[in-house]
Amino acid sequence: MRYFLNRLVQLAIVVFAVTFLTSVALRFLPGGSDVVVALKTGPGATAAQAQAVKHDLGLDRSIVSQYFDWMHKFVTGNWGFTFQTNQSIKTEVVRALPISAFIMVYAQILSLLFAVPVAMWSAYRQGSKFDRIGTTTAFGLLSAPNYIVAPVLMAAFSVQRKWVPFPSIYAGLGDPVAHFKAFVLPVVTVAIPLYAGYMRLLRSDMVATLQSDFITTARASGVGTWSILFKHALRPSLFSIVTAAAVNIGALMGGVVIVEQFFLLNGMGRLTVESIFRREYPTVQYAVVVLALIYVLVNFFIDLAYAWIDPRVRMGRALG
Amino acid sequence: MTTMTMTEVGGPVVPPVEPPLAKPKRHHRRGRITLWLAVAWLAFITVSAIGANFLPYIKHSCTQYANPKQCSTAVKGDLLKIEKPPAWAWFAHPEKHIGKGPERTGWFGTDRNGYDLFSRSMFGARNSLLIGGFSITFGLLFGTVLGMISGYYRGWADRIIEVVTNILLAFPALLLAIFIVTFSDKPDSTSSASDTRSIGPIIIALSILAIPPLTRLVRANTIMYSQREFVMAARSIGAPNRRILVREILPNIIPTLLSFALTGLALLLVAEGALAALGLSVEAPLPTWGRMISSGQERLRSGIWWPALMPAMVMFLTILCINLLGDILAERFNTRETIA
Repeated sequence: MRYFLNRLVQLAIVVFAVTFLTSVALRFLPGGSDVVVALKTGPGATAAQAQAVKHDLGLDRSIVSQYFDWMHKFVTGNWGFTFQTNQSIKTEVVRALPISAFIMVYAQILSLLFAVPVAMWSAYRQGSKFDRIGTTTAFGLLSAPNYIVAPVLMAAFSVQRKWVPFPSIYAGLGDPVAHFKAFVLPVVTVAIPLYAGYMRLLRSDMVATLQSDFITTARASGVGTWSILFKHALRPSLFSIVTAAAVNIGALMGGVVIVEQFFLLNGMGRLTVESIFRREYPTVQYAVVVLALIYVLVNFFIDLAYAWIDPRVRMGRALG
Repeated sequence: MTTMTMTEVGGPVVPPVEPPLAKPKRHHRRGRITLWLAVAWLAFITVSAIGANFLPYIKHSCTQYANPKQCSTAVKGDLLKIEKPPAWAWFAHPEKHIGKGPERTGWFGTDRNGYDLFSRSMFGARNSLLIGGFSITFGLLFGTVLGMISGYYRGWADRIIEVVTNILLAFPALLLAIFIVTFSDKPDSTSSASDTRSIGPIIIALSILAIPPLTRLVRANTIMYSQREFVMAARSIGAPNRRILVREILPNIIPTLLSFALTGLALLLVAEGALAALGLSVEAPLPTWGRMISSGQERLRSGIWWPALMPAMVMFLTILCINLLGDILAERFNTRETIA
């Protein structure tokens, strides 16, 4: 119990630090609040008008008081409106979240769907042609950044063959065909490096597991290949791939800006980055805090899982 | 620690700057041919990058820009602003783009300014490698010093360094890079998404991204080695801390660092491209791979694929080769045991 509380406090500190630093960093971007005012008033505003706008937006107060004001708004759920377009920030975030979530969930499913069987067979037939092709492909895929994969996919499937529209047109689950067309290319782009990473991770763990004594025993007592692979070897090998997948949940929610940007999908990453460029301080902060919360919560649950699996963790690790 | 478990797991986490600490062991030795092919490609790229101004296969006759040394070049005698497909691309239809009969030119074709894309890719190699090389060097330098201080002396220095490292790692990498890069912008620019920077801020941003994971790596290694018998022996004969750090611990860490330096370099090259894709790259005429790819992307929809995909290919091959070498080095030094 002590351990959980400890973790919770640490996580709260991280969220606080990240949001506070974001808010400070935002205010120190070149031009400061003058840029916000200039964007809002347009050119040719008098100093008095500019001052009025500044006061209106609350930008004339100290950074710390602005931060706590923001935090109060965040906690009470009254998030306010964007500076320039006067949109409800909450609506914007709520609109962006499912897009990111769709990409994340589909990419995870897709990559795991391919990675697990390929890794298992590679490990089982280690050194075979299948294994060599599999590991080499994974290695190559890891060296292809998403801004290289995305244009290749798009050139092949949206230009040469006009199978899917470009840019992606967002469609909810209500229209499955359009939904598929909107997400297939971005999801494949995101899933490719994920697949490569998962495959390598599971393969190396699986190779280690397959060398352990209990597998030899199982094999000696005549257990069949499939039974060895799925019933005996898979579960003890899953540890690191499950952890990696869990960590990626948080990382993928806000971390696929490039892909969102390329396919023009308005997910969380794009919302954040565009808001930075437009100096929408509160929007950036809300997006960052939502992402940080997701990230931190996922980490918290991973740690809980660790502690549950391995009691030594609860007692604190020997090394930092 | 949350973040510790994260880095241990490594894997395909999307933020581009964290070296994947856990590398699967390779059980078969990779063929020598692959190794030498990788070395040959990297040598070719490096030589081209250094000698881009005078090497015969790189065309260089550009006069439009204030600093002609820094831009690459128009194909000789052709200043029509048209893009032509590469000479070998029989399936691309240049007449669609030019309107006066088929014409294909150069190894990589030309971009919309009539620049030879191969030459430009080699000039891009110079800038990309400069950015990547400097960033990883700074990252290694600061990471080693900070990590060794924190791992050897422990105490308050360790506390401070660890807290800062944790915060930097918890911060979304791309956001951090965007902040640092835009800090250097001119105050009058209303939009940060403009390519008006020199190389400096990009290097600073990428170095700051590289420092925390390297610090953590060095720290863990330092802790491990400072408990070893040879360090104790040195201490018992009265060697000062500085000497122990430099003569006893550092030489043991260097092999690990070296193999991570290569992986890190690859990651930073990728990160530069990611910044470029968001419009946060170097000043307009200066080519980097990332910049070339991102500026070529707008033409993709018209079926003009070479301005984006040819530099992408060069970049991919380079990253692949660097990763390959890093992997082989890691295998040779067997760095896995030192991390776990």
